Amino acid sequence: MIIGLEHYFFVSVLLFAIGFFGVLLRKNTLVVFMCLELMLSASILALIAFSRYHTTPGQGLMEGNIFVLFIIAIAACEVAVGLSIIVALWRRNQTVELSEINELKH
Amino acid sequence: MDLGTVLSVILLAPLVAAGLIWILARQRAALAMTLSLGAAATILCLSLWLFFAGWDGSAFEISTEWLTLGSLTLDVGFLLNDLSALMLFIVAFVGFWIHLFSVGYMNDDKARGRFFGGLSIFMFSMLGIVLANNLFMMFIFWELVGFSSYMLIGHYLDTDEAAQASKKAFIVNRVGDFGFLIGIIITYWTFGTVNFNELREVVGTQPQLVTTLMGLLLFCGVLGKSAQMPLHVWLPDAMAGPTPISALIHAATMVAAGVYFLGRSFFLFTEEALHIVAWVGVVTAVSAALWAFAQRDIKKILAYSTLSQLGYMVAGFGLGSLYGLHHGDAHNALYYGIGASMFHLTTHAFFKALLFLGSGSVIHACHHEQDIFKMGGLWKKMPLTTLTFAAGVIAIAGVPFIAAGFFSKDAILYVAMKSSQPAFYLLTGTALLTALYMGRLFFIAFLGKPNSASAEHAHESPWTIVLPLLVLAVFSIGGGYMIMYPVTLQEVMGHWVPHPHGKDHTTMIIISAVASIIGLVLARIIYGAGAATDKVEKTLPPVFAISRSRFYFDEIYGYYVKKVQDRLADVVAFLDTLFISGVLVRGSAAVAGLLGVTARRLHTGSVSTYVWWFFAGLVLFGAYAGGFFDGIIQ
Amino acid sequence: MKEILFHSFAALTIVPALFVVMSRKPVNAAMNMLVSFVGLAGLFVLLETYFLAVLQVMVYAGAIVVLFLFIIMLLDADKSPAPNLIRFLASLAAFALMVCGGYFLVFGCGAGPYPEISAEAPASLSRTFGVELFTTYLLPFQLTGFMLLIAMVGVIVVSRKEQPESTGDEQ
Repeated sequence: MIIGLEHYFFVSVLLFAIGFFGVLLRKNTLVVFMCLELMLSASILALIAFSRYHTTPGQGLMEGNIFVLFIIAIAACEVAVGLSIIVALWRRNQTVELSEINELKH
Repeated sequence: MDLGTVLSVILLAPLVAAGLIWILARQRAALAMTLSLGAAATILCLSLWLFFAGWDGSAFEISTEWLTLGSLTLDVGFLLNDLSALMLFIVAFVGFWIHLFSVGYMNDDKARGRFFGGLSIFMFSMLGIVLANNLFMMFIFWELVGFSSYMLIGHYLDTDEAAQASKKAFIVNRVGDFGFLIGIIITYWTFGTVNFNELREVVGTQPQLVTTLMGLLLFCGVLGKSAQMPLHVWLPDAMAGPTPISALIHAATMVAAGVYFLGRSFFLFTEEALHIVAWVGVVTAVSAALWAFAQRDIKKILAYSTLSQLGYMVAGFGLGSLYGLHHGDAHNALYYGIGASMFHLTTHAFFKALLFLGSGSVIHACHHEQDIFKMGGLWKKMPLTTLTFAAGVIAIAGVPFIAAGFFSKDAILYVAMKSSQPAFYLLTGTALLTALYMGRLFFIAFLGKPNSASAEHAHESPWTIVLPLLVLAVFSIGGGYMIMYPVTLQEVMGHWVPHPHGKDHTTMIIISAVASIIGLVLARIIYGAGAATDKVEKTLPPVFAISRSRFYFDEIYGYYVKKVQDRLADVVAFLDTLFISGVLVRGSAAVAGLLGVTARRLHTGSVSTYVWWFFAGLVLFGAYAGGFFDGIIQ
Repeated sequence: MKEILFHSFAALTIVPALFVVMSRKPVNAAMNMLVSFVGLAGLFVLLETYFLAVLQVMVYAGAIVVLFLFIIMLLDADKSPAPNLIRFLASLAAFALMVCGGYFLVFGCGAGPYPEISAEAPASLSRTFGVELFTTYLLPFQLTGFMLLIAMVGVIVVSRKEQPESTGDEQ
């Protein structure tokens, strides 16, 4: 069977759903963060697949790939900052359980 | 100098003075007095210049558009014709002398700045009424005059009596002004204009548009401002204000504004309306004269006298206009009503202001003693005041030829004789009563021997008080003769006043002579000079009781206010608290608060909850993108 | 041949992702994530974007997962307890909903005809990327530089230890 765009797309959707499942389910902040990264990588897969399949003869479509480049860079920044926040939170509350970190309430 | 500018300066000078007093001179009495007196002098000089040099007597009108609301345009303008010139003369002349009097009279008052500011505001408002060329502008200044009156009656801030009186004056006036405003609206609706000249033209071509209702509603304003029955109750109470105010506002000018208005809008009255106007005047005149007998306070007696004379003026207008309609072949016949009432207004302004100022002189000298039975023997202590007061009494009694009041009352009695016999008898009887109660006042207060310590220590007042008295006395005696007035004013006074001829002439002289002289003589006999007690009270208690009851108007109004109006007001207040404050205001605040509280509960602080909300949003968004809501959201 | 490769790489991506979600120990989760990223890199290779595949391994798998591991070690995170049942079921329901929705999104009746591979892939060289970055996408490129700087500064500021208040007088 020819692997079409829809297959790559479905893999991306599945990966995204798994990531979201993890965000809903887990209570450990670090694991939640990891699932967030899974969601992000699902979207870059979709982008690259679209970019590949919409390439027309004579003109290569680079938009998706460039976009992915930026996403990888930004994801790196995000992880760095996010982890430092988690460390700061841990210093304050001595825990990384999401249910313990609930002071911003009414 | 063109007339428009001169009139603008006349109108605005007191306003400027009041503004300057407010900014600079609220505590500086001398400056306030100078500013106010200066404004009054400016008005008088400019007015005299107008009459002797600047104005040729022809009608002059100038106006500018002030405010446009849709199809309604409010103009501001001046209309200077015979009628307004006469009124301007009275206001300027009497106003100036009263300003001078106030300088002396109020010399121990602590709030002179406020007083003179109020006086200047009053002059501004009154001149606005005099010079206004359309009904709306006149109404605006009408209300302003009511406000000035309120402010000045309540001048003595520390007495409760003054506050109550000022409130009463304003509220009773407001009742009249309500009818007035409806009348103005109906006039505007019928004719499409409120300018006096334009109205007159339209009425000339289409007289059938004028209705009795219109005239009567406009007359409601006169009922309030000129204190006719049943809205007369505020005038006696208004005597709680300082005496110069009683003289200026409640004798000479403001209360006469109603009569002036009748003159301005005479063409809007049908014959039926004129009948009603005349009878209201007659009833007021008679009743007030009856009530004056039971009063002890010198100012209250003069107040009831003013009520009575105002009734004369209104009756004169009504009866004179009726006379003019039926017997008029002279080209001035239309104006007989105006002539009779305005002539009496003029002479009344002189002698009533004189009487009030004289009473002020007496009150000032007796250290604020106002009960006439505690005075007496003042003729020795205050000869000039006594002399001028006597002139005033003679004038009001209408002694033939030596009293201005004789000529004007004569004209009114003449038209009454020609138009309505019952009215004539009543008015003649009232003339007798007038002489009687004024004689009572004079003989008890001025002759005989002093009845109290304050009367003992009385002495003549300073020149700022006596000079106005002398000037006004001259006019009270001579004001019936044309040569006292500038030529430009003699049209109204001379040709518009109905004069009896031949046999009628003699009849009127005899009637007036009898009424006035018998009245004065009877007063002397009944009451005696310098009496300490009221003889009629002692010997005829029922008569005295009827007089003192003043026909229970105040009691009826008080009952109505307390039982009916206050209860209604309580119901409305309850509805207001319940619905408007409760449901609408607090209710909407509560709904906002409820929304806030609900939104607050969303901040659980738990990240997982927030993620679930994300998911819900995602689902909704996905549904929208999938076309799920296409039927609902257009 | 390509199908087999595709399916194995897809499995290599999806199955460890599931384990990331289910693992009780954070280190296990991180390791599974690593494998998942490698599988993703394989999928990129299949899509003939070799540059990005390598980049993925280097940055994502190499830097980010390593960072995660550092922090897990630093915080000495414990084994997590089992999730409570209701939460698990609710999340599972959400997951199922998303998968079904996704399935209909991809394979459903509204999804239009998908394009086929019609042309050669653009050369996956740094030069290709460089040309685009320095001409058409210069502004986002500069902004990304700023972002990295901000991230660096932010991390330094946020992770500073709080200074103790100086008490007492200076002698």
